[in-house]
Amino acid sequence: MKLLKEPLVHFLGGALLVFAFFWATGSNRDPADYEITIGESDVARLRTGWVQNFRRPPTQDELDGLIDQEIKEEIYYREALRLGLDRNDPLIRRRLFTKMRFLDNQEDAEDNPSDALLQKWLDDHPDKYALSSVYDLEQVYLGQDPEPSTLAQLDDLNQGTVEPNTIRQPISLPAKLVQTEASQITRQFGERFAAKLSTLPVGQWQGPVESGFGQHFVKVTAKIPGKAPALEDVRKSVTNDWQAAQTARLEEAAFGKYRKQYDIKVSGRE
Amino acid sequence: MMRKALLLAACSTALVISGCGKDGGSGGSGAEVTNTEYPEQVFWGDTHLHTDNSIDAFGFGNRLDTEAALRFAKGEEVTATKGEKAKLSRPLDFLVIADHSDAVGATKALYEAPRIALLGNDFLLRWYDMMHESDEGSLAVTAELIDGAAAGTLPEGLFDPEESADRIKSLWTEHGEKLDEYNEPGKFTAFHGFEYTPMPGGDNLHRVVMFRDGGDKTGTMLPFASFDAGDPEQLWAYMAAYEKSTGGKVLAIPHNSNVSNGRMFAMNKLDGSPIDEAYIKTRALREPIVEVTQIKGDSESHPFLSPNDEFADFGDAGWDKCNLSCGKDMPPESYGGSYAREALKRGLEFTLKIGANPFKFGMIGSTDSHTSLATADENNFYGKHSGNEINNKDRALAPQNLGTRRGRFGWHYLSSGYAAVWATSNTREAIFDAMMRREVYATTGPRMQVRFFGGFDFTEDDTADLVKTGYAKGVPMGGDLSGGDGKAPTFLISALMDPESANLDRIQVVKGWVDSSGKSYEKIYNISWSSPDSRKVGADGKLDAVGNTVDLTKGTWENNIGAPELTTWWQDPDFDAAQNAFYYVRVLEIPTPTWPVYDALKFGLTLPDDVIKIQQERAYSSPIWYTPAATTS
Repeated sequence: MKLLKEPLVHFLGGALLVFAFFWATGSNRDPADYEITIGESDVARLRTGWVQNFRRPPTQDELDGLIDQEIKEEIYYREALRLGLDRNDPLIRRRLFTKMRFLDNQEDAEDNPSDALLQKWLDDHPDKYALSSVYDLEQVYLGQDPEPSTLAQLDDLNQGTVEPNTIRQPISLPAKLVQTEASQITRQFGERFAAKLSTLPVGQWQGPVESGFGQHFVKVTAKIPGKAPALEDVRKSVTNDWQAAQTARLEEAAFGKYRKQYDIKVSGRE
Repeated sequence: MMRKALLLAACSTALVISGCGKDGGSGGSGAEVTNTEYPEQVFWGDTHLHTDNSIDAFGFGNRLDTEAALRFAKGEEVTATKGEKAKLSRPLDFLVIADHSDAVGATKALYEAPRIALLGNDFLLRWYDMMHESDEGSLAVTAELIDGAAAGTLPEGLFDPEESADRIKSLWTEHGEKLDEYNEPGKFTAFHGFEYTPMPGGDNLHRVVMFRDGGDKTGTMLPFASFDAGDPEQLWAYMAAYEKSTGGKVLAIPHNSNVSNGRMFAMNKLDGSPIDEAYIKTRALREPIVEVTQIKGDSESHPFLSPNDEFADFGDAGWDKCNLSCGKDMPPESYGGSYAREALKRGLEFTLKIGANPFKFGMIGSTDSHTSLATADENNFYGKHSGNEINNKDRALAPQNLGTRRGRFGWHYLSSGYAAVWATSNTREAIFDAMMRREVYATTGPRMQVRFFGGFDFTEDDTADLVKTGYAKGVPMGGDLSGGDGKAPTFLISALMDPESANLDRIQVVKGWVDSSGKSYEKIYNISWSSPDSRKVGADGKLDAVGNTVDLTKGTWENNIGAPELTTWWQDPDFDAAQNAFYYVRVLEIPTPTWPVYDALKFGLTLPDDVIKIQQERAYSSPIWYTPAATTS
C-alpha cells in the first residue's frame, strides 16, 4: 500500500490519533473553557443577594459557602452544556423561549411616547376614541306589549292633537334627555334602543322603537354626531392603548426578524 | 436554608426583570369630575378579581396580568388564557383587583425562575417540573398548594413573607402603577386592593381589602399576608396602621361565609373568647360591607335557617356540605355563622346585649374570578379559573374542588355577581365613601336598578318622585332609622329591570328583629309583583309563582311574564317600636337559564337531572336598621 507511505497521510493519521486520544480521555480542552474566575463584582453580587434574603451580611463561612456553591453550579452548568443536556429538553426549551420573548420586547421599546406619536395613534383610530354622539330627545314609554290603538296614535302625536303624557306608561326613565351622550343612553335604555337612534330623522315622533324595557315613541330633537376628541381629552386611554399595542407590535416584529431567516416546511401545507 | 435563599433570590430577580417595563403613564384625562348633589347613578363593578399574580390563579393556568384584567373590565376585548376572544357585553365602571396577599406572585416567580436555582430543593423542583410539564401538572401543584396551606403541611417558611419581601415589593409597586395609569376619574375607577386569605383548618375567613388611595399611599406598605397572622383582628390592626401612617382609607369585605363552617359570623372571637365592645366597634368600622354572592356560591340565606323562604336555597347546592377546602363537613348547626341574613339577626342580638353591632353590614356581589376576566353573565361566563374557561366543554359536569374532588361539580359554581354602588361620581373617593355608608347592593349578575329608602313620613304619593323624596325625607339603603315616636317605618322601593336581561317577578322585604329576651326572628313580605290582578298571596303568606317561559332547547326566555319595573310604598304592618330591627330588599327576576344550559347547547351535552338549569337571578339591597331611641346602635 503505497498510500501508507505518504507523509501527509502519516500526519493526518497522527492528528486523528491525537484527537481520538483527547476525545477518549476528555482532555481535549481549550484552557479558557476551564477557567472560572470569581471576581470582586461576583462576590459583591452574592453578598447583596444574601443581604436581601436575610437582612444581614453573610459571615465569612457563609460567604465561602455561597462562593463554593457558585463554583459548583458553574461547573455543572458547563459540563451539562458539554454533554448536550440543554438539547431536546422541553423545560429548557420553554424557558429559553420565554427569555427570548422578553429580550425582544425590550429592544426599541419607547417608554414615554411623544405627543406626536400619540396624536398619530389617535388619528389612526378615529372610531375608537370618537366622542359619543350627543342627543336631545323625548320618549314616550308604551309598555312591553302596546295595543294597536296606542301605536296608531303616532300620527296624532306628530299633528299635536295628542299630548305625550296621555299615552305614556309609567316607568322611571326620563321622558326628556338633553345633551345626552349615546353611551349614556345605551347604559340607560340598552343597546338596541341606542343603536336605533342614529337612524331616526330629527324633529318628529317615530316608532315604535324597541328597548330592553319594551316599546317607545321617540322624537329626536337634536343630534350632534360624535367628533374626534383632542388628545388631551383622551390622553390616558390613548397612552395605555398605544403601550399595549407597542408591546404586541415589538414582539411580532422581533419574531418576524428571526422568522424570515428560516426556511420552514410543513408537510401538507403549501 | 441556603437553597431557599437562592430560590428567593432567583424569584425576586425574575420579577425585578419582568417588572422593569414601561413606567407610569403621563397625566390624567384633564377634566375635573363634578359630584352630583345626591347619588343619581348606580355604578357597576367587581371588587374581587384575581390575576396571574395570585398563586392559585397562576397555578390554574392564568396568564393574564393586571393590564389585561383592567382592559377587560373597561369593556375591551382581550384574548383569554385558553385562547378565546373575551369581551364583556357592557363595560364595568370600577374594578378591585384582589390578588391573594399570601405568597403573591410566588407561583409565577417559581415558574419563571431559572430551573438551576431549584436543583437541590426537591420539593420546589418537583412543583416546578410539574408546572412546566402540562396544564394538569400545574393544576395538581395548585391543589397541593391549597390543601397544604389549609392543612398546614407546607414546608416551614416556604413562602415566608419576610424573605420574599423584595419580590412582593416590586410586584406591588408595578401593579399599583398600572392601576394608577388605568384609573380615569369620571370614566373608570381602578382600586388598589388585595385579598387576605386565612383559612384555619380549611374554614374560609377571607377578606378583600380595598383602598381609597393611589400608589403614593398604598406603595408605602405591603399587602398584609395571613400566613403568620390569620386572625382578622390582626388585619384590622394593619388597616388602622395604614390609615394612621398615610392619612388614607381602607376597608375590608368578608366573603364566602358560606364555606366558613360557621366562623365568619361566629358569636366568639377567633380565639374562642367572647366578643366585646372593642371588637365590635373595630369590626363594624373596618368591615362595612359583605360580599354575599359570587362564583363559589351565595351566602344570603339557607333553607335550614329560613324554612319559610321558598327562595332561600339560591346558590347553596354544593357549597353547604363541606368547608372551603372540603376537608371538613359542615353540620347545619354551624350555618348560623355562615349566612348573611342570620348574621344580621345576630347583630341585633349583640345590639341588645352589648349596645353595639359587629355585623352591621351592607351587601354586594362580586365575581372572585381567577381568570383576570370579571364575568357574571350566564351566556358569557369564563369560569372560576383558567382551567374552566368558556371553551372547556367538560367544565359543567367535571368534579371540582380544591384537591379533594368531593361533592362539588362544575355546575355548582355560579356566574355571579356584581357590586352596585349609588355614588355621586365614578371616582375612587365617591365609590369608596358610598361603600363606607353601605349605599350599595348585590346582584347575581343582571344590572337591575334598585332604590330603597326608609323614613317615618313617607306616603303612598311619594312614589311619584321617589328618589328626590327618598333622600329628602328619609335615608337610603345602608342607613339608620331611630325614634319615630312609635310610628311604624315607611319605605319607598323601586326596581327597574336590566334592559339587557329579564323582567322582574317581585320585590320582597326581608325583616329581622329581636325581642326583649334577645331572641331574633325573620319574616319575608312580598310587597310588589307583576300581574297583581292574577297573582295572589295565599293563606301561607306565599305569593303565586310568576311562571316560567324558559326554553331549554334554545336557551331563551320570554319577557311576556313579569314586569319591567316595580315601584311601591310600604309600611311595616308588624312593627313594635321597642324592638331593634333591620329591613332589606330582595328583588327577583323571572326564571332564566343557568350557564350550564348554554354550555350544553354549545357542546351538545346532556345535563343530568340534578344540574340546576333554571334560576331566578336577584338583587339584595343593604339593610336599613331601626333602633329604638333609648339604645345606641
